[in-house]
Amino acid sequence: MIDLVRETYRYRELIWALALKELKIRYKRSVLGFLWALLNPALLMLVLTLVFSTVLRFPIPHYAIFLLSVLLPWTFFSQSLSYAVESVVGNGDLIKKIRVAKLVFPMAAIVSNLINLGLSLIPLAVLVLLMRHPFYWTWLYLPVPLLALTIFTMGMSFFFAVANVYYRDVSHILQIVLSAWFYVTPIIYSLDFIPAKYQWIFKLNPIIYVINGFRLSVYYGMLPKAPSIIASFACAFISLFIGFAIFRKYQDTFVFYV
Amino acid sequence: MSSDSIPIRLENITQRFRVIQERPDTLRELFAKFFRHQSQYHDFDAVKNVSLEVPKGQVLGLIGRNGSGKSTLLKIVAGVYRPTTGKVEVRGSLAPLIELGAGFHHELTGRENILLNGLLMGYSKREMQDREQRIVDFAEIGDFIDAPVKQYSSGMYMRLAFSVATEIDPDILLIDEILAVGDAPFQQKCFDRLQSFRRAGKTIMFVSHGMAQVARYCDRAMLIDQGAIVADGRPDEVIPIYESSTAPLAVAR
Repeated sequence: MIDLVRETYRYRELIWALALKELKIRYKRSVLGFLWALLNPALLMLVLTLVFSTVLRFPIPHYAIFLLSVLLPWTFFSQSLSYAVESVVGNGDLIKKIRVAKLVFPMAAIVSNLINLGLSLIPLAVLVLLMRHPFYWTWLYLPVPLLALTIFTMGMSFFFAVANVYYRDVSHILQIVLSAWFYVTPIIYSLDFIPAKYQWIFKLNPIIYVINGFRLSVYYGMLPKAPSIIASFACAFISLFIGFAIFRKYQDTFVFYV
Repeated sequence: MSSDSIPIRLENITQRFRVIQERPDTLRELFAKFFRHQSQYHDFDAVKNVSLEVPKGQVLGLIGRNGSGKSTLLKIVAGVYRPTTGKVEVRGSLAPLIELGAGFHHELTGRENILLNGLLMGYSKREMQDREQRIVDFAEIGDFIDAPVKQYSSGMYMRLAFSVATEIDPDILLIDEILAVGDAPFQQKCFDRLQSFRRAGKTIMFVSHGMAQVARYCDRAMLIDQGAIVADGRPDEVIPIYESSTAPLAVAR
């Protein structure tokens, strides 16, 4: 684990450059360029707000904010994984020609999506003001769940990036896993909707604790309770520990399979 | 000779590849293989028990036919492959660059690629910024430096790649198929630069199929065949051995 910190620090400039490259290429040749990073979530919010305030009416006030407070971090998670799963294989040419620390590829995928998440919080803040939802001081707490989510995402990303090197089916399976995972996670609904006797099943989901932190601080203006915070970091570090151990074990053989 | 003057030392290196016939690329095939309890593969030694030392300041040319193991050897020195058995010792900074322009991204500009390439090779942003102007000047690509490299001609592309690889000033330079770069005046510039590299005591190892280049630039040539060193010596001694071995059979016999 110390290796991970040391290598990430050592290659920080490379990871950053690769992440920026990723974003540059994503918005390349579009007239609005980087503005899309802001516009995308803004337009999504517009659509969601219209749908949930006119067509579908949930008994939840300011449903769009309720939803987006966790949908944006979820999007970061699922997008990071989708990028990371291809990151090692996609840089196969490089890995075969240059001795390079392999971890920079999944890390860059995460960093580029982290930048996107950061930018998407701006239109969310605007929406909160426009809908006259209280702008809670608990927004200041966001870096804490963000840290836990990033650590959790790193572990999962390392794992899937390795698995995809050996079996390319993994990237397809991942998409199915992610969409199933989306529905069993209280994102479009709240855990309170679930009958109490079934709630324990939902609590086995390792991402639920960190997601809860986002919703509480943005939508409810509350801080999660200590056990929930501890659970979110425990899940994050278990994920990172397993994911990175597997990545480290196999990274020297990537060159033969990419 | 003291070990300091031997920047590259390989001892009994073997690089084994597992060549799997119909490698189970998908889970379906994996299951199929699993239930039939068989996997078909054979081991292939791309490099067989090779030992070599390259003294400081030497320009070593590796020659041999396609698939003889030259590039594999270079990749072992570069650290791209970890050999199956044997010991690799590399002293000094090494530009782990196997192919000119590896790591260039087509959508990025020349300037962005200089930075990215340098970072990939383990240099810092600061170091690359200090060298940027010299790289641009040497490559002679003018205003194109701020255009995406996909708009470059192949000559411009290679010139930029060569200047990045050599301007970063490594102690050891490893290059696969190096000197087909640019037009005659630029080739002369490359040659001059390699000479100054050698004078500065840097070590160069390169793979080439151009015998004229090997004869001209190298102090030493090594003929590789089927993963083993079959001849090692002055280029004018080794090249004829290679040329006679590749001559058409009708002529050779």
